[in-house]
Parts: sequence; C-alpha cells; structure tokens
Amino acid sequence: MTPPIPPSPPTPPPPASSPAAEAEKRASFEREALVHLDSLYRVALRLTANPAEADDLVQETMLKAYRAWHQFEKGTNAKGWLLTILRHAFINEYRRRTRHPETVDIDAIEPYSVFEEIQDEDPQGTFFDRIVDDEVLRAIDTLPEQFRETVVLSDVEGMSYEEIARVLEVPVGTVKSRLFRARRLLQQKLYDYAVGMGYIRGAAK
Amino acid sequence: MNCRECKEHLYEYLDRELTPGVAEEIRQHIAECPPCGENFDFEKVFLTFLRARCRAQGASPDLRRRILDELFDE
Repeated sequence: MTPPIPPSPPTPPPPASSPAAEAEKRASFEREALVHLDSLYRVALRLTANPAEADDLVQETMLKAYRAWHQFEKGTNAKGWLLTILRHAFINEYRRRTRHPETVDIDAIEPYSVFEEIQDEDPQGTFFDRIVDDEVLRAIDTLPEQFRETVVLSDVEGMSYEEIARVLEVPVGTVKSRLFRARRLLQQKLYDYAVGMGYIRGAAK
Repeated sequence: MNCRECKEHLYEYLDRELTPGVAEEIRQHIAECPPCGENFDFEKVFLTFLRARCRAQGASPDLRRRILDELFDE
C-alpha cells in the first residue's frame, strides 16, 4: 500500500517577515495597489451612495488586499483584482445595510433613444453642457445597481469590456447589453432633467 | 451593413471594442449615411460629457492617512 500523498498546502504562506521582506511587500503594495485608491473610492461611493460608508468599504478592501497580497500575481491587473475584492465586500457586508436588494427586473428595461427625441431641436447634444457634475452623479445613483456598477466601471474608470466582465463575473456579452441599456437610461434621465430645467424644449409627449 | 445593425454596435464602436473588420464597415456606413453619422456624433458627445463629469472625486487625504496607518504602523 502506497502511503497517502500529503495534501499540498493551499497557498504558500507569506515568507517569514524579515524587515527586508516587509519593506519589499510594502513598497510593491504602494506601487501597484495604493495608486488605485482614487478609483476604489469613486466606485465605492457610487455603490454605497454614502461617503462615510465608501471610506469604510475602501479601507476594508485595502486591508484585505494587503493581507492577501502574496496571492496577487505581480504585474497583472491590480485595479481589477482590488475592485473584485471591493465588490465582494460590498455585496457581503454593505449592501444589506445601505440599500435594499434589487427588485427591478433590468431585462425589462428598454430605454428609448434620446437622439431620436431631440434630433430636430439639438442634434449635437449641446444641452449636456449645461448639466453639472452633481446632477450626473445623482442620475447615476438612481440607476438599478447592475446598470450602475457597469457604467461606473466603464465611463468613470475607463475599463474595457473584458476587464469589467472579470470584475462583475459575468460574460462579456452581458457587459455589452447592460452598458447599452444603462447608458440609454442614464441619457434619458439627464434629458428629462434638462427638459424639466428648461434647458431644452423637448419633444411633445 | 444597414442602419439598424450599425446602431446595435454603436457603443462597441465608440468604445473601440470591435474587431478591425466590423469597425471598418461601421466607419464606411456612417460616412455615407448622414442620419447615422449624426446619431454617432451625438452619442460620442454624450460619452465625452459623461467621462468629464465623473472624474473629479477621489479619496480624501484623511482616508489615505487612515489606510496607511492601519497597514503600516502596527
């Protein structure tokens, strides 16, 4: 009878922390992870819609990331890795407290095209210039969560469909279709706002 | 490529997510079809606007300090 093969350790433990190893860990974390702090905060703020919660969520994310830093494959996409940690922390701990679970069926949302409404009055979209930052962020915050996170990763953070798919753990096709509908819905909200403010006349309804 | 197919790929085109072949077909279509050209320009204005309005906020100096303290000053 052959002796059982001893189970291999799940992940190599972090090297015993000599001062030199600690200094190197800290330096690489600062170089590759902490540079994404602003991105993490922006995403956290849109997910929680609350600056204090966003701070806590980011702090917790950085702490988890630092503890798991030996598992991060150096030189790969640290921003995506950090956002995945942040999103899991949000789903597991914050969402329950800060927002009610989604009750919207996003597949039923088929926003119309604002361009078709406005092509005679303002085909160049000059009305957008009059809408200020806070109003845009407020409109993003009213999107259903799955739309909101997709728009934020794409249009706030400039990530590719592939990167977004990895963070959200959905197929690239899902990212495409959510992004299409999310942007249209957002556009529609901003258009309604602009009509309400009298920036444009808008099509008669 | 017809107008409907072209509009379906609108954002993928503007996000530069299409293969070069499909992107080229769209480039040709919008060059030759003024209504689609206008529609694409409008969406491009919208995306540029959206990005410009959302970039400002970042982490506060206080949050940065809290994190550095927690991670490194133990």
